[in-house]
Amino acid sequence: MQLDFVARELTIKLVYYGPALSGKTTNLQALHKAADPESSGRLMTLETRDDRTLFFDLLPLTFKGTGGLSVRLKVFTVPGQVIHASTRKLVVQGADGVAFIADSRTSETTNNATAFLDLKQNVKESGLKLKQLPLVIQFNKRDMPDIRSEEELAELAAQGREPVYLAVATRGEGVVETFMGLLYLTWTALDAANDLNKKFDFDEAALLREVAGKLGYQGSLEQLLGSSVGGVLGQRWLARKAGG
Amino acid sequence: MSDVTQRLEELTLGTRLRLEELIPRESLVDLTASYHELFGVPLKVFDGSGKLLAEAGPAPSLYVWLASLRGARAALEYVVDHVKQLDPGAGDVSYPCVTGASYRVSAIQYEGRRLGRVIFGPYLGAVPAEVPPELLLAEPDLDPARALALLAEMPRAREETITQVVAHLRRGLEIILFSGHKALLTSNMHLASVKESFKELQAKNQSLQEAFDRLKELDRLKSNFLATVSHELRTPLTSIIGYSEMLHEGLAGELTGEQRDFVGTIKEKGEQLLELIKGLLDLSKLESGTMSLRKSELSIAETLNEVGSTLAPAARKKNVALSVQVSAGLPRLWGDAERLRQVFLNLTENALKFTPVGGSVTLSATATELAATATEDEEDDDGAVFFAAKRPALQVRVTDTGIGIPEAERSKVFDAFYQVDGSSTREAGGTGLGLSIVKRLVDGHDGTISIESNEPQGTVFVITLPLQRAGQR
Repeated sequence: MQLDFVARELTIKLVYYGPALSGKTTNLQALHKAADPESSGRLMTLETRDDRTLFFDLLPLTFKGTGGLSVRLKVFTVPGQVIHASTRKLVVQGADGVAFIADSRTSETTNNATAFLDLKQNVKESGLKLKQLPLVIQFNKRDMPDIRSEEELAELAAQGREPVYLAVATRGEGVVETFMGLLYLTWTALDAANDLNKKFDFDEAALLREVAGKLGYQGSLEQLLGSSVGGVLGQRWLARKAGG
Repeated sequence: MSDVTQRLEELTLGTRLRLEELIPRESLVDLTASYHELFGVPLKVFDGSGKLLAEAGPAPSLYVWLASLRGARAALEYVVDHVKQLDPGAGDVSYPCVTGASYRVSAIQYEGRRLGRVIFGPYLGAVPAEVPPELLLAEPDLDPARALALLAEMPRAREETITQVVAHLRRGLEIILFSGHKALLTSNMHLASVKESFKELQAKNQSLQEAFDRLKELDRLKSNFLATVSHELRTPLTSIIGYSEMLHEGLAGELTGEQRDFVGTIKEKGEQLLELIKGLLDLSKLESGTMSLRKSELSIAETLNEVGSTLAPAARKKNVALSVQVSAGLPRLWGDAERLRQVFLNLTENALKFTPVGGSVTLSATATELAATATEDEEDDDGAVFFAAKRPALQVRVTDTGIGIPEAERSKVFDAFYQVDGSSTREAGGTGLGLSIVKRLVDGHDGTISIESNEPQGTVFVITLPLQRAGQR
């Protein structure tokens, strides 16, 4: 996070992590497509000839917010292939929140786990603990055959702390939900550490509503945040609102 | 945080982008020139701190003339000062000049941040019929006819046109800035990840180097141990051999036939053991580089003939033909006669050992050449002109009709204690030390040793020894 007091600008770095070919770039493309052109900059993709991410993708999103504070979101992906280890480490440095995009197919279970351990290691090497980092998990490619069942994922999700989302990024399903879950978690973490809401007289509900709206989401915030498997964030959101 | 990662963070978060970094200044100059060429209006590009980066179009002659008049110059300077201070927000604003012309100031925006400004002008919407009153106010003594004439020469553009041109330029710049940002980010990311990989490799190299040093130290300890042990073994063994010799010769009283046989065996085996220990000592000396070769001029024919006559009885006993063939007029060699004899004795003994009854062993010497770099790769003649010519050398071939050595084993036979076939050790005997000593002695003479097949059956050991002293060794 970077806070420019003079320009009243907050820059937040969000990173989409995951194994090779799990759909990280597709998530960003879907977000870019959904976003209102005024809020979204150009999607910067650095791809090799065979459409694999070379270094990263970058989607800049800008929102007005309240209290005169403008919020800039820089959404990155990392290259999934093993050989780009050092690049992943660099991209994840300074991340304020991470969305882990997993492949739902049973055959990819080991790759998911390996990539997750890689994330853990890289976060650790950048001097943080994964536990301290806002994290959401997306199980992508729900439209593929031989995928892990929703019941199984729900059961596993209930044991972990991270909200788990189901998605078909190629059709844009679950993409905005995942992103909003990540943004919400990241914002609350940054607010807890920096007292942003109070310092800038900031209305976080208004920001979340603005972002959801600019990303073309029609429903309510409760619905949106409750859309993870088991709906954990929706409950947390209601509790947070009730607590003031 | 290192400079590279700091820079990378600024670039990825886009917090400190500068116009000049994203567009090379020369490109900006070209771009402004082409806009001026197309629309005829002068323009200037400033960076975020107000520094002029590019300009196109000369000052209109009216302005050049006015600048020479005191009152008008003051008025123009006032306008220019104001134009420079103008804040166009995220869009663009117009500013009128005393001449009736206008300036248009536009922000250069990238990702919602202002990186600089473009100023178009001065340009005139339409040529006025009279000299503008503001200009006359500033410069009452103005020559109206000349002013009107020069006003007619001013660059002309309608406000709507300028609005379109500015919008067009802003869009174009945004695309160029995006490409520039992408290229800059990519190269920085590349640089940072190479640096990161380098750091990791360096750490790995470091640990490999440490492991290598440790192994080298262990190897040195092993050689020391070998040298000490063989030395210590030799002393009591000499006594054993000496006393059994005395017993054998009856110095301690007459022995029965059987006793003599037994003592004879003790002596013989003792001597075998001594040879083995000497071999070990040689090897450890050669490995540690403490064996000094006493080199002098020598004749290879003499050496080979000596080897031949030493081993002739053994060959006869085994019914193997042993012959020495040395070309006439071979030059003399520079080397350690005793050690070279040891080399050929060893190779010939081996050859005899592995050659079946009725076979043959041949020692032959011919003149040859050795590449100065002693490279074993015959294909490697690239840039030969840069390297010293080949040196004259002698080639000695020890040829047998024995069991042969498979190609895959040939590079290993020179390792200490290596035997091609473990099971043949018992049949043929030997310690596996001989060839490793041979190889090191040949190395000590700057020579080479290799193994070839003797078609249809057998092995050829090829030893090449340079004739002259290599350097000052």
